[in-house]
Amino acid sequence: MSSNVRSSKRPDGSSLTRDITDDLNRLMAEEVEACLRYFHMRLRLRDCDHAIAEPFFDEAIKETMEHATAIAAQIRSLGEVPTLRVNLTLGGGRVRLEAALAEALDVEQQALDAYTDLLPRVVDDPALAEFIRKQVEIETEHVRAIREFAAAKGTMKLVPTTSKTDG
Amino acid sequence: MDTWKAFDANELTHSAAHHLLAIHEVGAAYGGWARVSDIARQLNITRGSVSINLRSLKTRGWVETDEHRLVKLSPEGLKIVQSIMAKRLIVKTFLHDVLGIAESDAEIDSCKIEHLISHRTGQRLVQFVRFLTSDAPASRQVLKQFRRVQTTCPDDHTCEVCKGQCLIDELKRAI
Repeated sequence: MSSNVRSSKRPDGSSLTRDITDDLNRLMAEEVEACLRYFHMRLRLRDCDHAIAEPFFDEAIKETMEHATAIAAQIRSLGEVPTLRVNLTLGGGRVRLEAALAEALDVEQQALDAYTDLLPRVVDDPALAEFIRKQVEIETEHVRAIREFAAAKGTMKLVPTTSKTDG
Repeated sequence: MDTWKAFDANELTHSAAHHLLAIHEVGAAYGGWARVSDIARQLNITRGSVSINLRSLKTRGWVETDEHRLVKLSPEGLKIVQSIMAKRLIVKTFLHDVLGIAESDAEIDSCKIEHLISHRTGQRLVQFVRFLTSDAPASRQVLKQFRRVQTTCPDDHTCEVCKGQCLIDELKRAI
């Protein structure tokens, strides 16, 4: 998570700022939804997979909520109040670790794409651009880690020992 | 009595129907290919949700994806979209042109049931609407009379439609 959040508000009320705020609201929703998905997915894991995957999902729940909080702070620094629109119903039975990771990979890849798409649009705001750039790095790392973990079928340690969200 | 359960078992859920329609609409200008971000905007949900929902559509063979994560309807998916759109149109036409429901309400109600009615019911509805809206004098007369009619219920609630329970009263109470 980036800690580089400005305290000063930008008085710019332009439509571009509005569009960027909308995009940030959507990103925040992505992160909150991902958090809820991980929370639910952890409960659906088969018993034999639960122990091996629990650290991953615990960390993912924590990180996604941290990311959502950081995005909310960015929105507030633009002088706006965050709007959270989450429309989610989660069901389903027991799930294998491979399937859970495939879903996690989808979610992380979409978050990465969303941050990547936003980056060129915020270059005029160095602080926001830096925040988004950092998020791209973090999400890129998450995607890589999940891919490796899935490929190794649980033979590698999924959660890095040092947090990659500090920044 | 268990017909309602068929809604849950319906192979094409409301969500799936709208995903397929969104792909069709968004992809129309790009040779059928749609980006997940555009589908998400169209449906007003997150990219993550779209991506997860696409998994089941892909498993059913209704959509295809490429290496850039673009999405396209498969021939089977396109057939489903076309049948949904046809059923939506005929239901809307029936509600608006025959029953006289306001167009905006007819649009909403047709959207709710477009994917639930069978193809056979859709076909019969087309035939019925064509019959009613044709230039045949009998059809014109029926429609004209229907539009004039103001339903009043007999006091003993024994009309042939309601059979002892006044459905109009029930629906009035529900509004």
